[in-house]
Amino acid sequence: MTQPIQPRLTQVFRFVRASYAEGVAELAYAFDQGEELIERVRFPAPPALTPERKHAFAAALKLLHLIAGISYYKAGVPPKIEVADGPLDDATANLLDDLYLHGLAEFAYRNGLDLRGRIAFPRSGEPPGKVEAAALHLPKRTLVPIGGGKDSVVAVEAIKQVGGEATAVWVGNSPLIAACAERTGLPTLNIQRELAPGLFELNRLGAWNGHIPVTAVNSAILVLAAVLYGYDSIAFANERSASAATLEYEGQQVNHQWSKGYAFEQLLGDWLHTHVAADLDYCSLLRPFSELAITRAFAKHTPYFDVFSSCNRNFKILGPKPADRWCGQCPKCHFVFLALAPFLPKPRLLTIFGRNLLDDDSQAAGFDALLEYHDHKPFECVGEGAEARAAMYTLSQRPEWQEDALVARFRSEILPQLDVAQLTLEPWLRPSGEHRVPDRLQAALSTIT
Amino acid sequence: MSPNAPAPLSAGAPWIVMKFGGTSVATLPRWQNIRELVSSRRAEGARVLVVVSALTGITDALKQLCAQEDKGKRIEAYQAIAQRHYDLLDHMQLAAPETLAERLRELARLAEEGPALLGELAWSALVQAHGELMSSALGAAFLSHAGLPTQWVDARECLAAIALPNQNERTKLLSAMVEAKPDPALNARLEKLGEVFITQGFIARESQSRTVLLGRGGSDTSASYFGALLKAQRVEIWTDVAGMFTANPRQVPGARLLQKLDYEEAQEIASTGAKVLHPRCLSPLREPRVPMLIKDTNRPELEGTVIGPEVREHAPSVKAISARKGITLVSMESVGMWQQVGFLSDVFAHFKQHGLSVDLISSAETNVTVSLDPTENLLDSDAVAALASDLAKVCRVKVIAPCAAITMVGRGMRSMLHTLSSVLAEFGQLRVHLISQSSNNLNLTFVVDESVVDELVPRLHEMLIAAGALRTDDSALFGPSWQSLYGSGETVMAADAWWRAECRDQLLALAAEATPRYVYHLPTVRRQARELKTLTAVDRMHYAVKANTHPAILRALAEEGFGFECVSPGELKAVMAVVPETAPLLFTPNFAPREDYAWALTTRAAVSLDSLYPLEHWGEVFRGREIVLRVDLGRGLGHHEKVRTGGSGSKFGLPVDQLDAFLRLADTHGVVVRGLHAHLGSGILDVKHWGEVYSQLASIAERIGSVAFLDIGGGLGVPSHPGEARLDIAALDETLRKVKAAYPHYQLWMEPGRYLVADAGALITRVTQQKGKGSWRYLGVDTGMNSLIRPALYDAWHEIVNLTRLDEAATALYQVVGPICESGDVIGSDRRLPEAREGDVVLIAQAGAYGKVMASPYNLRDEAEEVILE
Repeated sequence: MTQPIQPRLTQVFRFVRASYAEGVAELAYAFDQGEELIERVRFPAPPALTPERKHAFAAALKLLHLIAGISYYKAGVPPKIEVADGPLDDATANLLDDLYLHGLAEFAYRNGLDLRGRIAFPRSGEPPGKVEAAALHLPKRTLVPIGGGKDSVVAVEAIKQVGGEATAVWVGNSPLIAACAERTGLPTLNIQRELAPGLFELNRLGAWNGHIPVTAVNSAILVLAAVLYGYDSIAFANERSASAATLEYEGQQVNHQWSKGYAFEQLLGDWLHTHVAADLDYCSLLRPFSELAITRAFAKHTPYFDVFSSCNRNFKILGPKPADRWCGQCPKCHFVFLALAPFLPKPRLLTIFGRNLLDDDSQAAGFDALLEYHDHKPFECVGEGAEARAAMYTLSQRPEWQEDALVARFRSEILPQLDVAQLTLEPWLRPSGEHRVPDRLQAALSTIT
Repeated sequence: MSPNAPAPLSAGAPWIVMKFGGTSVATLPRWQNIRELVSSRRAEGARVLVVVSALTGITDALKQLCAQEDKGKRIEAYQAIAQRHYDLLDHMQLAAPETLAERLRELARLAEEGPALLGELAWSALVQAHGELMSSALGAAFLSHAGLPTQWVDARECLAAIALPNQNERTKLLSAMVEAKPDPALNARLEKLGEVFITQGFIARESQSRTVLLGRGGSDTSASYFGALLKAQRVEIWTDVAGMFTANPRQVPGARLLQKLDYEEAQEIASTGAKVLHPRCLSPLREPRVPMLIKDTNRPELEGTVIGPEVREHAPSVKAISARKGITLVSMESVGMWQQVGFLSDVFAHFKQHGLSVDLISSAETNVTVSLDPTENLLDSDAVAALASDLAKVCRVKVIAPCAAITMVGRGMRSMLHTLSSVLAEFGQLRVHLISQSSNNLNLTFVVDESVVDELVPRLHEMLIAAGALRTDDSALFGPSWQSLYGSGETVMAADAWWRAECRDQLLALAAEATPRYVYHLPTVRRQARELKTLTAVDRMHYAVKANTHPAILRALAEEGFGFECVSPGELKAVMAVVPETAPLLFTPNFAPREDYAWALTTRAAVSLDSLYPLEHWGEVFRGREIVLRVDLGRGLGHHEKVRTGGSGSKFGLPVDQLDAFLRLADTHGVVVRGLHAHLGSGILDVKHWGEVYSQLASIAERIGSVAFLDIGGGLGVPSHPGEARLDIAALDETLRKVKAAYPHYQLWMEPGRYLVADAGALITRVTQQKGKGSWRYLGVDTGMNSLIRPALYDAWHEIVNLTRLDEAATALYQVVGPICESGDVIGSDRRLPEAREGDVVLIAQAGAYGKVMASPYNLRDEAEEVILE
């Protein structure tokens, strides 16, 4: 038995091995010469792997191993990274260096660490060639990850509306997501991820802790699922503002949702075409849309109102009351409330949340942060400050809202400092900007209104 | 079949109307039950008229038949409906009687024909009326065959619908009204026909001889109409619950059965929430003063609720508390406009224009606030936005939602305001948007934020009882709790108490030696401990020793495997002197000085912190140590306003918004947060609370990493009032296990105190004298707040018995007081006890927790010694 490890004093993080058998991927990691940390990802009812997909599957498994390691690496942030089966080609190393640096930027900021120059995946020096991987002739159907919030609902409903074949997929055992996935009426796929028990032990021994880019890990899991079950596309529901940085800290951009941003989408999408399959697309269906455009689209999907929640509190146990799905205190609750308000009758909105967050003085600081008034944008997956200001301005012009405490405060205190011309809602409702939605799904984009 | 047929009834024998609902007439056993009940009423010397609903599900099936445009589908629907009745006849081993066959033929014809001939609404009313026509025909056959000759009466020949202004064809046919005045001719006609009759609920006939329906609550209303027509001795509504309760039992399991109400109170309760009775069915009975009795078909032995005219013989009491959710308020503010002629009428015209109907109204010089009930129009159209736009032109508008109306009902509400101070204080901590008190003085309504209601209503119900505003001690008005009648959990039976039978003689002997004395019954402590050990989800139990530090109790609990939670060095020392070294210890002080922590860290106790100060200023004391962090879940994770106010107003716990600061300090000093602790409060009987605390703590723990266990505190309630339900330990375990399944990596700890020892202790004292003052009678005993301060400090209610005269009738109403020179030295007020004499032994129950430990030498009276019963 080895000595108990002091996680923060470790020297090397090792990617030990990754294997797959009978629906279970095993991913092993270690610090220094310490005990192995083994994560397991369980795929339900796995089909047999066809020979032509074997190569792609191995590449996807390796990617998952490398990406999922971020949960463990961050426990110690040692100066050296080792990969047991040899160094990576430049394209892969670039992807991972970027992911670990930007995906852990908030973690570093919160813990007062500087990861620049510290993260270096071993490289073989093989240049980042643009060689396409072979096409696998994957079935024309889409994996749509469900998060329990409004965004994935909008994505699912858009694909349903154009008759696209899709499966609602989620990782983990959130009852809220399960309820939401069931409400879509689509076939469902629930993949389980079991963190290495040793990670809890490391935490107890004083490991570094904080935010990790979980969307990247889930993406890598879905890539493996797409090859295993046969899907030609993975369509996330990440919006435009996910690419915007939360703050800048000592010259580094810190974006809470970096792995939901366009940069990561491009990196991973391109990497899949060169390393896994030429016909496997990774995209975000909502990339051209603002949060406000998405909430407007969501406001039409009444059947989801009593099951969805974007609240970031981890509700592992669901009750029937709105307070069992919406904590009412976090930036997500604040933002979704504010962004839905222009698009729903007030009494209906209030039944979703069970209370009126805008008529509660004690929530002023939270909404100020959304409006980027007195504070930076919160570390959450929420819209841009200008969007929040446009939504608030809209409410301030509506008689049924304008006397509510925080709306009245906005009118008297914040609005005079703003340029009204910058506060209109309409520009936010128009799609714009780049996206990587494959041809087959492009019709769905125009249904989002 | 009827060996003891009662003597024939004379003309002029009284009538009893009995109404049975759909589930009560759907099966053979239920009909056998009806037969028993009807013949018992007949045996009282009354003529009986039975009013029945359609078989359960049949009215819906008939509505679906009406909705079918396709004739084939209508006929199919008819056949399924007919089959239900044939099946029941089969069970009854009866052939279809001609009365039923005739109904079936007519229904078949109507299904075949469709609405064309009669018109949509009239046809639909006639089709739906067949549910009751058929069930009553079937019932007549069954009862007659079972030896109770029963005449089938067509309700349409008795109940004539009246034409009302503002009626359209739909309301005329589908929600008709009948003017029911005593009708001697009907009485005479039926008397000639027999003694037992059966007829239909829900239906009547209008002036053009068409069949009409009575709308919602129609069958109960029919029973009332017949009660009025026949000027019955009473109308009995047989249903699936014993009557009306002091609150919605789903919200308040401790709600009491209301045994007596007057019409207006009952109508008010029915209108503000109770579902058992439709409010409209009471008015026909009011003028002829016919009482209504609500009874449980399955439990006919229960008293039920009697609703009648008589009121005066009881002290005023709040009868019920109810809550209606989903309410939207519109508050309109304007200076000086309200006095202008026609202004209000213009304002209300906007509500009408947007299809919104107003319920409650309150007004001031500059403000009028109204409430809107939740309707689809309100929730899913832009009606509110449009209304607000229109109103904004003439006044300042604020739309407040989601709200709930909490209504207290009782005759003479205004005369009870002085008893409501604690209840009003509770409202004082909330956002109250509107208060309304109608001039009929029957209700008092508060409109508050909806989010507080689920927790508030049970608490208010308790407070109303504790404040003596809801006089549950008046057994003529208030019956048992819903929980004790229908709940799954066991209820405290007063007879169970160890002091009542098992140890009574021993206690009398102890009292003969000396009083006052605390007596502790160790088998009860052990029983409670073993019960808590059935909580399989809990990994470790600590006894909160502040409840009672008697060494024998500490030893007994150590033997049961409990750890110990101490809040001072004194308690730690007392425990360590008695329990083995293996027993786990917790040190959870509040505002303890630095040296207390320093000393506690030299013991084996796990030490808890609940503020930033110790780490900020005495960091070196804790360097490198593991600690438990007590958090205040009130703020940050607060699920409603009240908890939040409660949070900031309480001196315990680290507010969640200081958690990051605490963790940074801990890091700086190498302090590891090994456990998280939260404690809700005391006397909690609702298992959901611990599930919530547990999952909230777990979600905080996930942010910390080093946490290995979660301590959800104690506060397990011990019911004090007779009939109150015990905490359901099995349900608590289930709740906890559910959370544990989601967070298996944390150990779960608890720290019960009072739950273990309260029932095990009694304070015995002796009567010294009596005093009369006006109508008040004081019973003096030889100790008071110096020995037991809970009644004075917390308004705690302790059962008090005269142990010497346990079996004598409780005829006197006493204020039980001690000898301390404080007007607060009252141990129990308004207690019904036997007439007492000097020297009688009086026992104060549930004194095992926070009794002796809180005793004081005040007035320098001798302290009560402690005696252990093994």
